[in-house]
Amino acid sequence: MAGIEGSPGSSMHGVTGREPVHAFSVASPIVPTDTTAKFDLPVDSEHKAKKFKLFSFANPHMRTFHLSWISFFTCFVSTFAAAPLVPIIRDNLNLTKSDIGNVGVASVSGSIFSRLVMGAVCDLLGPRYGCAFLVMLSAPTVFCMSLVSSAGGYVAVRFMIGFSLATFVSCQYWMSTMFNSKIIGTVNGTAAGWGNMGGGATQLIMPVLYDIIKKTGSTPFTAWRIAFFIPGWLHIIMGILVMTLGQDLPDGNRSALQKKGNVAKDQFGKVLWYAVTNYRTWIFALLYGYSMGVELSTDNVIAEYFYDRFDLKLHLAGIIAATFGMANLLARPFGGFASDYSARYFGMRGRLWTLWILQTLGGVFCLLLGRADSLPLAVAFMIIFSIGAQAACGATFGVIPFVSRRSLGIISGLAGAGGNFGSGLTQLLFFSTSKYTTEEGLEYMGIMIICCTLPVMLVHFPQWGSMFLPPNNKASEEHYYTSEYTEEEVQKGMHHNSLKFAENSRSERGNRISSAPTPPNATPNYV
Amino acid sequence: MATNACLVVSLWISCLLATSHATTFSSLQRTIILTASPQAGQVLKAGEDNITLTWSLNTTFPSGTDSYKDVTVELCYAPISQKDRGWRKTVDELAKDKTCQHNIVKKPYTSSNTTFTWTVRKDVPGATYFVRAYALDSAGREVAFGQTTDAHKTANLFEVEAIIGRHVSLDIASACFSAFSILSLLGFFFMDKRKGKPSK
Repeated sequence: MAGIEGSPGSSMHGVTGREPVHAFSVASPIVPTDTTAKFDLPVDSEHKAKKFKLFSFANPHMRTFHLSWISFFTCFVSTFAAAPLVPIIRDNLNLTKSDIGNVGVASVSGSIFSRLVMGAVCDLLGPRYGCAFLVMLSAPTVFCMSLVSSAGGYVAVRFMIGFSLATFVSCQYWMSTMFNSKIIGTVNGTAAGWGNMGGGATQLIMPVLYDIIKKTGSTPFTAWRIAFFIPGWLHIIMGILVMTLGQDLPDGNRSALQKKGNVAKDQFGKVLWYAVTNYRTWIFALLYGYSMGVELSTDNVIAEYFYDRFDLKLHLAGIIAATFGMANLLARPFGGFASDYSARYFGMRGRLWTLWILQTLGGVFCLLLGRADSLPLAVAFMIIFSIGAQAACGATFGVIPFVSRRSLGIISGLAGAGGNFGSGLTQLLFFSTSKYTTEEGLEYMGIMIICCTLPVMLVHFPQWGSMFLPPNNKASEEHYYTSEYTEEEVQKGMHHNSLKFAENSRSERGNRISSAPTPPNATPNYV
Repeated sequence: MATNACLVVSLWISCLLATSHATTFSSLQRTIILTASPQAGQVLKAGEDNITLTWSLNTTFPSGTDSYKDVTVELCYAPISQKDRGWRKTVDELAKDKTCQHNIVKKPYTSSNTTFTWTVRKDVPGATYFVRAYALDSAGREVAFGQTTDAHKTANLFEVEAIIGRHVSLDIASACFSAFSILSLLGFFFMDKRKGKPSK
């Protein structure tokens, strides 16, 4: 998986430190343009776009981008659609605090597994089918919400809806078939951030829908059920759009891929081994659990919190809660940018410090949010908390591409799973018993974030150093990345991609390097 | 930043003090006699059954009732329905108390017997309840109370069986849209496969 050019996260963009950070295009000498292709955007020899034109819907590249992120957004909307309506649902179904907490855990647990399965599905069927299948098969689960009449039913339905968050994988995978690896980082980061916004948008949409439906004459206990039809219809609409307007590859659909010979695939067992035995994988899985994970947990509890603690009306609580998730529009890309920017001067050490600072900031303001007694303070602290946590998500994926070259796909997947696991854990510990009030839960979650971010100090790259330790001058990037291959494999030449990556990653030494390496050679290495 | 925060906090505190002087439940006297028609343990159906309430002043209390202007009657949660549900918590400070969340009626105060019949609303959740009446002064502050249960809130409680909110029409619509989703997915998938075959 990781050996294939263009796999998620394999972007070389920004690696030399000389390319404009987060540029939206790749200049021609670096990657040659295929001038025979008739696409709306300049493309490389695989017909992947070299440019990212945000407000275009042109087939196939930008259209794919929009179909992809909107599908992911829709799944976030339906996964967290119940959260702002919990004050009504808890009365309808006679729920206790433990019920609500357990449901929150269930809503994020399903996708731990579905994200892993989706990787395989994308490999087998392609991302277009992966996305469409998931979105349309989870539509019935959203409609089932209107049938729920007990706590058990509620848990089951939200668990099943949670599977749809695996569209994250299909989204990122699909982008990598359409966009050149040099800009894929920016494209994927934007798509991921905008998809995550769904968790915020839903806090606005659902209370408004509920109010409108109530005004047409429904009782509250029926109105919330009807409101769930809208996310359900969105699933169906997006599924149909993906099937009809989407295509697997720039040139058409998947049958073309079957004909082409392929880059030698790596062995899954080996790739998994090198992912699992690299201690940094687990540290980043933990860290992502306390940036992305706490973001998901907060999505689940924040509207109810403002409704109960400050006695706000449902739609007002929803508006405030929405600003939490909507900050993803800019906060997540900002985190990636901050990581890249600090790397320019301080290399990898800068990236690690940036990550630690952003995530700890998030933790501190989460703690202050729990302590805040007045509404304006609570809102202010919540916003800063959201920026810290979401920027930390972006910064995490600024470091992960460097942890391993061979096992990048699996490490990204494990980090993602760690995110959901962290979310389930914090909801289980702090928000599902009456032992803590929600404000106490937020305080303790803030403390836990601060503590669980400390392990980033242990991440050490021999060639680049760590937060407190300088690099070992004798260590090299080549040695680090080739150590993932056995002697035999090195002799077979399987490590060449990693060597190239190692050369380009020298920029992670920061300003210490006297001469930066030349950009990767002009001829694409996937012929 | 810190001074701003202090200013906001002190403004908020002074507002709170100005309005309520933090009226507490324990400072109220039980001067009103309130009776409700449901028997202890009776189950009422939301949207269908009625509660008939009667309230009057307990004449054994010395007068001091000139301040009473209105009487508001509320449906309140019994302790068993508050368990593990922090959003229904009983707190002494009335502004923060969440015991009574469903208003039945608000009427001007008269010292003689007043009766009111109320149909249990459809949005009342399924739980165990008692009824409480507050006497309000002209500023809307609680000055006295009466309730159908004892001080420990264990006697004379009744239940409400709420509506579920489900409807056959919703169930059918759900089933139809779900079926549509699955069928159209399969439809498009097989159409694609058939289109794909000749091009191979």
